[in-house]
This record gives sequence, C-alpha cells and structure tokens, in this order.
Amino acid sequence: MVHSFASCRSAATRSRWWYLVGAGVSLCWIAHGQVVKAADGPSFTRDIKGILSNRCIRCHGPDAEDRHGGGEHGLRLDTFAGATEDLGGYAAIVPGDPEASELLVRITDTDADLVMPPPEAGDPLSPHEVDLLRRWITAGAEYEPHWAYVPISRPNLPAVAQKDWARNPIDRFILARLEDEGLQPSPEADRATLARRLALDLTGLPISPEAADAFGADPSPNAVEQLVDRLLTHPGYGEHMARGWLDLARYADSAGYADDPPRTIWAYRDWVIRAFDANMPFDAFTIKQLAGDLLPEASLDDKIATAFHRNTLTNNEGGTIDEEFRTVAVVDRVSTTLSTWMGTTMACAQCHDHKYDPLTQKEFFGIYAIFNNTADADRRDEAPLLTVPWEPVEAKRRPLEKQLAEIIKAVPEMQRATPKQQPQPAAEPPELRPLREHADQLRKRLAAIRPVTVPVMTELQAAKQRVTKLQYRGNWQDLGPVVEETTPAVFPQPALADGQRLDRLALARWLVSPANPLTARVIVNRLWERLFGIGIVSTSEEFGSQGELPSHPALLDWLASELIASGWDLQSIQRLIVTSATYRQSSKPTADLLARDPENRLLACGPRVRLSAEVIRDQALAAAGLLSSKKGGPSVHPPQPDLGLKAAFGQGIDWKTSTGEDRYRRAIYTTWRRSNPYPAMATFDAPNREVCTIRRPRTNTPLQALVTLNDPAFVEAAQGLARRMVREAGPAARQRAGRGLRLVLVRQPRAAELDRLVGLYHDSLAAFRADPPAAKALATDPLGPLPDDLLNHYGGDATHATADLAAWTVVGNVLLNLDETFMCP
Amino acid sequence: MNPLAEQKLIATRRHLLGSMAGGIGAVALADLLAGDTAGATTPVPSLADPLAVRPPQFAPRAKRMIVIHLTGSPPNLDLYDHKPELLRRDGEDCPAETIAGKKFAFTSGTPKLLGTRRQWKRCGESGMELSDAIPHLHRVADKLCLVRSMHTDQFNHAPAELLVYTGSPRAGRPSLGSWVTYGLGSENANLPGFVVLISSGVQPNGGTSSFGSGFLPSVYQGVQCRSNGDPVLFVSNPPGMDRQLRRTSLDALNDLNQLQARELGNPETVTRIAQYELAYRMQASVPDVMDISRESKQTLEAYGATPGGSSLANNCLLARRLVEEGVRFVHLFDWGWDFHGTNPNEDIRDGLTKKAASFDKPAAALIEDLEQRGLLEDTLVLCTGEFGRTPFREGRTSKSKMLGRDHYPDCYSVWMAGGGVKPGLIYGATDELGFKVAENPVHIHDLQATLLHLLGFDHTKLTYRFQGRDFRLTDVHGEVVHDLLT
Repeated sequence: MVHSFASCRSAATRSRWWYLVGAGVSLCWIAHGQVVKAADGPSFTRDIKGILSNRCIRCHGPDAEDRHGGGEHGLRLDTFAGATEDLGGYAAIVPGDPEASELLVRITDTDADLVMPPPEAGDPLSPHEVDLLRRWITAGAEYEPHWAYVPISRPNLPAVAQKDWARNPIDRFILARLEDEGLQPSPEADRATLARRLALDLTGLPISPEAADAFGADPSPNAVEQLVDRLLTHPGYGEHMARGWLDLARYADSAGYADDPPRTIWAYRDWVIRAFDANMPFDAFTIKQLAGDLLPEASLDDKIATAFHRNTLTNNEGGTIDEEFRTVAVVDRVSTTLSTWMGTTMACAQCHDHKYDPLTQKEFFGIYAIFNNTADADRRDEAPLLTVPWEPVEAKRRPLEKQLAEIIKAVPEMQRATPKQQPQPAAEPPELRPLREHADQLRKRLAAIRPVTVPVMTELQAAKQRVTKLQYRGNWQDLGPVVEETTPAVFPQPALADGQRLDRLALARWLVSPANPLTARVIVNRLWERLFGIGIVSTSEEFGSQGELPSHPALLDWLASELIASGWDLQSIQRLIVTSATYRQSSKPTADLLARDPENRLLACGPRVRLSAEVIRDQALAAAGLLSSKKGGPSVHPPQPDLGLKAAFGQGIDWKTSTGEDRYRRAIYTTWRRSNPYPAMATFDAPNREVCTIRRPRTNTPLQALVTLNDPAFVEAAQGLARRMVREAGPAARQRAGRGLRLVLVRQPRAAELDRLVGLYHDSLAAFRADPPAAKALATDPLGPLPDDLLNHYGGDATHATADLAAWTVVGNVLLNLDETFMCP
Repeated sequence: MNPLAEQKLIATRRHLLGSMAGGIGAVALADLLAGDTAGATTPVPSLADPLAVRPPQFAPRAKRMIVIHLTGSPPNLDLYDHKPELLRRDGEDCPAETIAGKKFAFTSGTPKLLGTRRQWKRCGESGMELSDAIPHLHRVADKLCLVRSMHTDQFNHAPAELLVYTGSPRAGRPSLGSWVTYGLGSENANLPGFVVLISSGVQPNGGTSSFGSGFLPSVYQGVQCRSNGDPVLFVSNPPGMDRQLRRTSLDALNDLNQLQARELGNPETVTRIAQYELAYRMQASVPDVMDISRESKQTLEAYGATPGGSSLANNCLLARRLVEEGVRFVHLFDWGWDFHGTNPNEDIRDGLTKKAASFDKPAAALIEDLEQRGLLEDTLVLCTGEFGRTPFREGRTSKSKMLGRDHYPDCYSVWMAGGGVKPGLIYGATDELGFKVAENPVHIHDLQATLLHLLGFDHTKLTYRFQGRDFRLTDVHGEVVHDLLT
C-alpha cells in the first residue's frame, strides 16, 4: 500500500483568521484562542481542535463522500479512533509518540507532493501550530468532545480576591478572570447613564429625564433592582424583545420572491410580543411555536404561535412548481430551527454530510421528515389559514349580527338561506320578501367584512402524509432512499413512548429538554449578546466546531444551568445580568484598558453598543413626544419616500402614509416588505427577513448619516423635539438646549455642550430671521403648523415663533445625530 | 464578518488610536483608518472605512464593472443565436427527445417549434451574426465577446436572477456587486461604491436582494440612484435648510462629537465624525454625477438620453458618468424582456423591435463612449438576462396571433465587452434547433468565476466567514473560462 495520505483535491479555503494573523494585522495582546484562558500544556479544545478543524477536517472529517487518504473509509482526524487507525503498520497519530505519527511527518514535509495540507488547499502549518500538535501527541493525543455538545453542568463559583465587588454569581466569573489577567473592573456607571442604558436595553425606549432623576435620587440599596423590575413590566418590554425574535422567525408582511405580495401574519407578531410581556417560559414559547397545533386542547393562541414557521417565503410567480418551493420552505424550517435553538448550521447537510461537525445528510432529512407533513404547500392563498378575532372587525360585525339575530328570532324562517337565483324560498309567503331582502343584505354585508387571518401549521391526516426521501445534492427531484424522522445521533435522543412518532411536538420537547446540550447555552448567549453587543460565544450563530470558543465557558454553563433551573425564565436571566456589577460598570475605558483588551471581551468596563435600527427610530420619536404607545394590530405605513416602482409582476411598492397615531408607531409595527425593506431601517442594518438572521452587523456609514439628518421622519422628530424644548424649559436658550439634550441623552448637559448648542441656535436663528419661508419650512414641514400654545410663548408673534422653532429644529436635528445618541451608553 | 475578525479590526484601530500621543485628531484619520491589506490574499476591509480601496489578489484586467440586466430574459434566438434549421422546421412538433422529462413554466404537452422572424447579418471582421432587432450593436460587434453556450439551473425569474447575481437561487447571499465592493472598495469615497439604476418602472425579480449584501455588512449593498426625486434617498437637506446651514450644523455636530471622543476615547466616535463629513460631500457629488444635462448634445443623442427623464438610455449614460467618477460597480436593471407573447409588447416581432430599440442604441453608445474615454480597457461590461427562451412557442399563446417563447434554462447567450475579454469572440454554440449547448458550456458559476478573475480575484478565495463556513459567490462550483480572456 502506498504510504500516503491521498492528496486533498478540494480547494479548502483557509480560515480568515489565518490571513489576519499571517498578515501581521493582529497587534493586540488577546490573540485568537487566548480569549480563552490559557493553562499549562496544549488543550485539545483550546489549542488543537481549531488547527484540525481549519486545516485538516474539510478533507479528513465527517463527510464520508469527500474524505481523502487513509484506509477504506478515508482518513478521519476528527475522532481519536480515526486518527489512530492502523493504516498498515503506521498511523496518522500514535499517542505519546510524535516521531511515529505520520501526521507530523506530513505537515512538516518539504515535498510539495507530500506536504499536508496540499499547497493548493492552504499554506503549511506554522512552527507554532506544529509545536502544539507535537506536544499534544506527546501528552497522549487526548481528544475531547466538542465543548458545546457536552452536557450542561453547573460549575462552582470561582474564588476571587476582591470580596466586595461581586453582586451576583456572574460577577464572580468575570472578576476571577480579571484578577487572573491583573485587571481591575471599572467603577459603576453614574445613575443617569445606568438609567438610560437599562431603559434602552430592556424596553428599547428612552427613559424620561424625570424618571432618571427620581432613580438618581433613590437612596434605596435596591434602587437598580426596582428600576429593572419596572422596566421588565413596562409595556414596551415585549415589543423590544420581540424585535430580536422576529429576526430569527424571519417575520415579514409580504410573501417574498418576485411579486412579493402582502401577507397578513401580524397576529403572530402580536403573539410574540404578548409572550414576552407575559414572560412566558422559554420551553413553552418553543413548544407552542413549533407544535402548538399538536398540543392537547390547543388554544387559539397555541395555533397562532405556529405561524413561526409560516414565515417562510411563498413563490407566487407564474409558472412555478408549488412542490419545488414547498420543499424550499421545509428546508428553511429545518435550518431555521437548528440555527435558532441550537446555534447549529445544518444547511450544509442538505447537500452532503457536514464538513466539520458530525451531522449527516441523512440526519438533515431526518429532521426534514418531521417538518414534511404540514398541510401548507406554497399556495398563493397561504392556506391553511386561521381566523383570528380582532376587536375592530368584531365591532363591525356585532351590530349586523345583532340585527340578523333579531330578525331570525322574530321570524325563524329567516334562518333558511335564500335559494340561489330566487328571491325567496318557494313556500315562503310573499309578504316576507322585504324582510328576507333585508336579511340577505345583512348577510352580504357580514360576508364582506374580511376577517383577520394568520397562516398556521396543521398536520396532514395520516392517509395524506408524505414519505420523505433523501434528496441527492439537495435536489428535490433527485430522490434517494426513504428517511425516517430522526434527530442527529450526536445528541441525546428524544424520549419517546413506544410507537410514538417523532413529530414536531416531540422535536420541540427535545429542543428544550434539559438533556439538550445546546439550547440553553445558545439562548443565554443570545441574551448576553443583546446586552453586551457580543456574546460569550462571539459567533452566536455557530456553536459547532467552526464557531469560536466561549470567552468565559464556566459563566456560559452557569447561566445555561440557571436558565433551566429557573424553569426557562428569560427575565430572571436578564435580571441577573443587568443587576450584576459587570453590567453596571462605566463604559469609559482607561487608555491602558483600551490597549490591553480593545474588544472588551474580559469586561473590565461596561458595554457601549450601537442601537438597533428600530431603537434609533423609536428613540427619536419618543424624544420628540410623537411616539404612539398603541400596541398590536395590522402593520402600518410611516412616511417613506415614493420610488415610483412596481415589484416584478406585482404591485406598486410605494405606500400611502398612515394617518393619526399610526404614523408614529414603534418601528416593530412598520410594514416589513421583503423586496423593498423600509429604507431607514435597512440602512441601519435591519435585514430583509427573507431568511433567519441571528446576528445583525453594526455598520457606520455615510448613508446612515443621510437618514438621520434628512429623512422626513427624523426631520419631523427634530421639529417635535424643538417644540418640547420651548414648551418644557424656561425661556433662556441654555435652558432650552439643556432640555433638548436631556430628552435625548437623559444625562445632564456639560457647559461646553450647552455653549456649542446655543451658538448653533443663534447662528441658525439669524439665518431664519433673514429667510421666513425657509423658517416656515423647517419649523413645520412635515410636522404641521405651530399650535397656539406654542405661539403664546412668543406673545403670538408668529414670525418670531417660526424662526425660533426652526432654529431649535436645527439644534434638535444635531441632538438626534450625536454619536452618543446612537449608542447604548 | 466573523465577529472576532470584526473585533480584531476594531482592536487594531483602537490600538493605533490609543497609542497616539495627544489623543485623537481628525487630521490623521485618513491614514489611520485605511484598510489593512498588506500581504493578505483575501482582502480585509477596515471597519472604519470599509470602502477604502483595496488591491485585488492579482493584477486585474478590469477595475470596475457595469452590468446591464434585461429583466425577464430576452429571446436569445431572436437577437444573438441564429438557427436557420429551426426556422426551416417552424411549426413542427418539438422532437420528443428535446422535451422529454422537462418541465416548463407555462408550456405542457408537445409545443411547436418557433423559428425566428428576424433578419440576420454577419457583422464586423468577426462575422458575428446578430439580428436586425439590435442594429446599433452591429456597429460594435467586434468589441463584443459573445457567449452562446450559457446555461443555468433555474427557470423561474426570481430564483434564476438570484442565481445569476448571488450564486444561489435562494435568498440570503451577497450579490456580485457587493462581493466586488467588499473585495476592492471604491475609488471615490464621495459616491456609493455600488450603484443600482432601475428603468422601465419595475424592480428586479429578486427585489433588493438582487443587489443586496446578504450576510456581508450592509455597507456593501447596492445603493439605488434615481433620476427623479432624491438621486440617492435622503441626500437632499430638508426644506428650509440650505447647504450653508447644513455646514454650520455639521460643524456643531462635529464639535460635540469631538468632545465625546475626548471624553470616552472610543474610536467609533471618530469613525462617525468621518461618516458625517462623507455624507456632506455626497450631498454635493451625487446630484452632480446624476445630472446628465451637463453632457454634450452629441453625447445625449448618441445614447438617446433625455435630461430629466428616466430610461435605460439615461441609465447607460449615468453608468459611464459613475464609473468615470470612480464608482466600482454599476448595476442596471431594465424591466420588460419577458417575451411570452401574452401581449403585443411581448411579441418577438414588433414587440421585440420596439423594446430592443430602447436598449440597443444606448448599449452600443456606452461601449463606444467608454472606449473613446479610454475606460473600456479596464471596465468590464456584461449584458444578460436570468435565462434563455425556448425554441418553441409558449403553451398559453400557441393559439393566439402573438408569437412568444417560454423560459428556458438549458442554453442562452450573454455578451461582455471591455476589461480583459476577447473582443469579437463568439464562444460556444447551441445545437441546430437551439435546445442544448453543443460546445463549450458555460454555467452561471463559471461566468461568475470568470468575472471575478477579470477583477483580480480567485473566486475560491474571495470568501467571507459566516455560520462557520467560508462562503463565496460561486458556492462550491465554477471554473474560469480562460478562452474568453485576452
């Protein structure tokens, strides 16, 4: 036998990390891998797995189809058994004997035909990597199971030297690491900063300066906890939490693809908001969304929740084959489920066994089979639909139904429907004809009231169930053997009674079973990421081998075990995090800290994170006093520039702006059209929601500046803010400027800031005094004429008032564009 | 980007900023925030200035690109691929083997062969045969690189268009233009790096996803520019605020942000200050570049462009203006090429003559104009639809007076010009009836690999780590078609 690993033919792309390090870009002291705490000797998880995964596993890993070298089944380096397999008198790895390990020979070979990885697949391993592998093999080449697949256990709290800093267990983990690194935590943020941070983080809305002042003056030792409790029960809480979940659920108000027709599914959005407001335990939240229809005595709400997976796209383009796009939707449901709950990218296994994780294509279709028996089938009418009672519709129906009921009560014959093509039933006396016509009219009017519906999941009856077959290369027309419902073998298997089918309900219960090693870790990590801007696992979308290791593994596990122990109580975890000393720290880093831990992964200071697109809009409207607090109902149309375009094969994409308070609703209620997302939000990194989005990027671009400077919605907010400055502060310019700053930033203004704002006000005022039409435009377009109470501040002098308000609008516009405004402090 | 790579970039910047004596000064910003690319095979954009110019992986043949997308897909057999045998057998049943086992969007049963009704001419020294629907392109035939052997996997518009521009028929991947601007940055910071221009009043089939950034940072998504209203959304100051007052207010904003930067020392604040200055410059440069009334009468006539109007002709002229100003990628979408024959505008006779006239003249003018300005040699132009059209009459309209063709993925034609493609080349061929590729097949992924190659990238190495995998435009496919290159 040829003494060789067959050459790796596929062009494995090297990890981006490698380029960065190779390019000498990595200057900071926390290099890759070292975010994870260093210890003696190479650790498989920390030091070795990444090398194998990035450099070897693509060709010597779980994917049997594409595995190279070695014996009959190809060489596997992702398992101990595979790596140490006798290849005919030699082995890739001989534990304890690096010199006898063919792997070391090959990675250090200078012959281009022999060296691993092959030159076309990547650069040779660095001397440091070779050294790590050598030392690891010398020490016995111990493989460890992938950290995220290990059952969650509750770690002990680490000992810390500084006894008086920690407020709860979270802080013990953070502080222990800081002490190891010789770093000090930062002081607690001041109360105004903390108030704004907590309010934005928990409700997505700014806190009023008055509420912040009251909090600042609260001498209670539990002042923070009390504020947190108020915010967790604030009506804005559920809406804010729902935003993140709706990214995962790919919730949108249109069906997608070319014509992208409107889709009525807002009842699901409202369900999510209600669930968060009620702090529904996460296990119930999970089960209802994946399988609410299969619950015994499923309630209306349980069924609405299943719209989670009806947010997949429907292709209504002419000439499409419904079955093709039904299968696309089922594939999306598999991927979205695994990503959302388990941080596991299953999508690759649609076409082939996973390259890096022990997930097979057959297992992909095992989950596919679980989702393959719902009644929906890429139909234009989105069937099956569930009718949802909604008060405005009921209010229209009630008087008509009442009248009809009265008629029937008085004349029971009217219960009978009128025969088609005839004025009345044959036997009916002619004198009843006017009454019958009236009843017919009522019935017609009732039928014309369109009910609110929501697309839902319903399971096909046994006789109509589909047989799932493996799809070669993910091609829905190229079918292989029948695949039964299964969950991947690498995870603990679901507990099923004898003969019980592994259906969606069983799958959902398996996801939130305490034995599932991933769900709780993934969920607490996401809660952490929302608050700190980056997760304990930075790749919150990927907990597999190709993801990053946790910065604080024990903390992650402690939080995960706490989530399960609390009965999946999300708010209890959030409360723990936001009341921790870690979270409360000032976000102002020292120069030394900036240099030593620029990413703030060690959390020696508090978080400072750019707000989401939704919060940026809501905050501006709230500061302006314009934001509506109305909850729920159909999505609305805030001002949006006309583009004069139609969707392909579809309708115009321009919309008629909503009137009244619907113009000023929270961003979560803005109609989300996939083919043309609301421009202001898309510019601030909101996704189009065609697919599950786990983590939004946070960019910083000139187009964002144009939105918040010039978008009429933000100009209107600046006008509203200007009016509040005049109404709510004393007559001095400094008072008004200070009020404006506090309405946006909450904290007290600094003198230098007031100087600059007042300077701008005077410059602007001079300009507007010389140009009354410009003043009128900037003070009132689009917000509307100045009301009398405002004019009274100027003794009724409309010209003066208009110029003054225009000048304050310029100031308001600047306040809404401060860097600090966009950041959670 | 991998969040840690993201963090790393921030870290690098912070490190540099933090090490500066005397804190943060806006003066040195440009130097500090330039991309770090030294020696890297894959470009690493700087987060502070993600559109900063970055070198490609190897010497490129093209530095910028213009795509003319004919939304709906033009009938290749009536424009670029003459099939006399098909005309000879016009009206006959399709041979069974040509349609066996195939699904079509709007046709079932046995359709009738449909020969072209166009007149054809061998053009230029290359003898490239083109139809009479595109007489102006005859003039530039020797500059075109015509591929007659394209094929795709999709026959519905939206998935097919996504495949052409994102490498996948499903939503969620970055588009060609966003990959290119991610890889190369843009040469004019005062304009968007990736501009989209839409004519004939309808969005692309894939909506904004056809020019979206997928999982790349949203800074790489195509920015739609328009002839009417704001040329870029929100680029105009609100009514009542002139440029002078905007400057005054930005000065105040910058001063306040500087206070903040000094207070917190957060590099992102410095970045934001720079973004507002860029936005201010864009407010002047975007309306300037979008104003075609500055062009000579002769140029306007050559394109058939009308200042104040909205047309493919205007957009072709704008494309030239934009690339001339350093925009990296200009993507034109023109609706109305879905020649089913369901109405007179979709008839391959007069309907095609009319529609093609709106495209042929400006497309030819664009090539000549680019050449005259010395831009053609390093500007790559691609003209394509989502797929081809059938050699038979579309099922729904087979009994009508209209002549139309159904969607067809198995073979079709595209052309390129400029930056590194062989001028006057006719590449590949279909069989005598136009049902399948007879020689030199080019799949969409091959075309993408070739385009990226021309721009200086190994398509297997222009990657982005997302969900644990290094994604690329060509997924796991694609071979560069070297025969197309000069």
